[in-house]
Amino acid sequence: MPPRSLVSVVDDDESVRESLPDLLREFGFAVEAFSSAEEFLASDAIGKTHCLILDIAMPGMTGYDLQTELARRRREIPIVFITAHGDESLRPHVLERGAVGCLLKPFSETALLDAVNAALQVS
Amino acid sequence: MEHTADATEIRRLQGCINDLISVLALPAMWGGQEAEQIVGTLLDVLIGMLRLDFAYVRLKDPAGEGPIEMVRLAQSRSPSACPREIGQVLHDWLADDPRKRPPLVRNPLGDGDVAIVPLRLGLQDEIGLIVAGSQRADFPAQTERLLLSVAANQAAIGLQEARLLSEQKRVARELDLRVAQRTKELAATNEELKREIAEREWAETKLRQDDAQLKRSEAFLAEGQRLSSTGSFSWSLANDQLTWSEQTYRIYEIDPATPVAFLSVMNAIHPEDMPMCREKVQGAVRDGRDFELEFRLPLPGGSLKYLHVVAHATRDQDGQLEYIGAVQDVTERRLSEDALEKVRSELAHVARVTTLGALTASIAHEVNQPLSGIITNASTCLRMLAADPPNIAGARETARRAIRDGNRAADVIKRLRALFSNNGTAIESVDLNEATREVLALSSSELQRGGVLVRRELAEELPIVTGDRVQLQQVILNLVLNASEAMSQVYDRPRQLVIRTDRHNSDRVRLSVQDTGVGIEPSNVERLFDAFYTTKHDGMGVGLSVSRSIVERHHGRLWAEPNDGPGATFSFSIPWVGQL
Repeated sequence: MPPRSLVSVVDDDESVRESLPDLLREFGFAVEAFSSAEEFLASDAIGKTHCLILDIAMPGMTGYDLQTELARRRREIPIVFITAHGDESLRPHVLERGAVGCLLKPFSETALLDAVNAALQVS
Repeated sequence: MEHTADATEIRRLQGCINDLISVLALPAMWGGQEAEQIVGTLLDVLIGMLRLDFAYVRLKDPAGEGPIEMVRLAQSRSPSACPREIGQVLHDWLADDPRKRPPLVRNPLGDGDVAIVPLRLGLQDEIGLIVAGSQRADFPAQTERLLLSVAANQAAIGLQEARLLSEQKRVARELDLRVAQRTKELAATNEELKREIAEREWAETKLRQDDAQLKRSEAFLAEGQRLSSTGSFSWSLANDQLTWSEQTYRIYEIDPATPVAFLSVMNAIHPEDMPMCREKVQGAVRDGRDFELEFRLPLPGGSLKYLHVVAHATRDQDGQLEYIGAVQDVTERRLSEDALEKVRSELAHVARVTTLGALTASIAHEVNQPLSGIITNASTCLRMLAADPPNIAGARETARRAIRDGNRAADVIKRLRALFSNNGTAIESVDLNEATREVLALSSSELQRGGVLVRRELAEELPIVTGDRVQLQQVILNLVLNASEAMSQVYDRPRQLVIRTDRHNSDRVRLSVQDTGVGIEPSNVERLFDAFYTTKHDGMGVGLSVSRSIVERHHGRLWAEPNDGPGATFSFSIPWVGQL
């Protein structure tokens, strides 16, 4: 059995950090959760992550800020943005910035799985 | 010779008739003359006519004074002859009994005797007496006696008339005197009367002036009462006597002739307002205090009046409690206030909706976040139950989280509904800390999106205030969103928002929102609160003016001040419960 792909979740909302990893594990992924962009950057997960599920709006360093920082560090980790703000009009804008997927809360488990799988394809 | 004798006799008789005519003509001369003049003339005439040596008259004075005596002597006699001596001789002669009088007396003026003829004036001698004397031997001849008696009669008549005339004159003089006296008295009385009348007229004029002055004052007062829709009243408790001014009657729409009593006036108050009014009046009367009432007065036509009554407690001269007060018809004011309140409320609602419009993203986030949690947890739960063997413990945990997120979503909906509602003012106890937490919960993601760092400095054991929770939250939300907006163009320093609650001036609770934004110009501080004034291109100027009116209706105030460093601080303070 191949080592399970690591999906990292960065979200300041605690309920997301509780629920989303459980579901992803049910899908068979390895999961690590972080409450801020800074915490993720400081961890060793940065070199092992196959897919980054990243909240856009966070206090301090935002999701976009982290994306820019990773690009600067040449860390090409496929990113699936999640956000509770905005509507469908936001999606093209986010994908244009280089994200693999954009999930608008609330999203279904199918949408989540499709987005994660797409990200893993890229990686 | 006989012929000569006859001729002599004829001449004598002719002379006698002439004398008689002269004597008879005397009264015509005497007309209007007084007694002395009459007898003077008589004596002169008799001496000349009868060639007497003397003539004497004595008149009794009717007034009881001494008699008037007068003597005339023949012109041939020496003027040195003294009338008094003649009078003395005649006195003695007259004092004798008339029957014993001798016809001759010794001549008082010379030698020899004198024949004397006394003549009575009047039927007796009530008027007086005339005495004629002559030394002639033939005196008195028969015709001479006749002439003397006629003359005496004539004189008596003339004297009688003179006496009457004199009496008349005297009476007339007396009358004149009395009339003059009376006239003088009357004139004095008249003067006195005139003075009294003048005084009375002056007093009346003064009274009229005072009255006019009073009427004018009363008119002014009445006009003032009418213009200000304010009537006055007095209420004496000792005899329960209530007195109204004309305007008070007009306000109550009652005929001014109607007597009013305290009980009926109280009963006229709107039933809903009556218990409060009754309690206030009873309390004030018990302690002898002033009181103030505001109540509705139903009118016969079905309309309502709003009346404001202020009564001042005083004591009358007997120390009895008495109220003097004013009744003002504040209906128009109240209706305007109600209309204003409605507009204000609508404006507040518009502001609320507008603010919430700006919060749409935040609202979406607040609702989407728990929805997302519910779906994720529910999906996980189903998968755990479907596993072989089913992960019961995991399923239970995810189901619990789903329920928690469901409640969280429900709370958000509840808060939103409260903020969207336009149910007017609801007074309740408000914990400003709790209200602040809710506002921050609603706006946190909006603030997050704006990159705003929020620091809470909420005082512990903050006193509870009374007011409309939603409206106060509306104010807090406005201040928070304004602060966030003020920092949107700031890149060179942290966008920090400090929301702080504390006690203020011992009787108030203060809430401040401090930002590090563009700040405010001191000259613009007050204009910030004008409706529709805004420094922002897409701002909602109505926010601060509505916020201030909300705070003021909570008996508080809202103000802005520049920070020592960058940015500004907006604060409001309102009295806490027990301070109102």
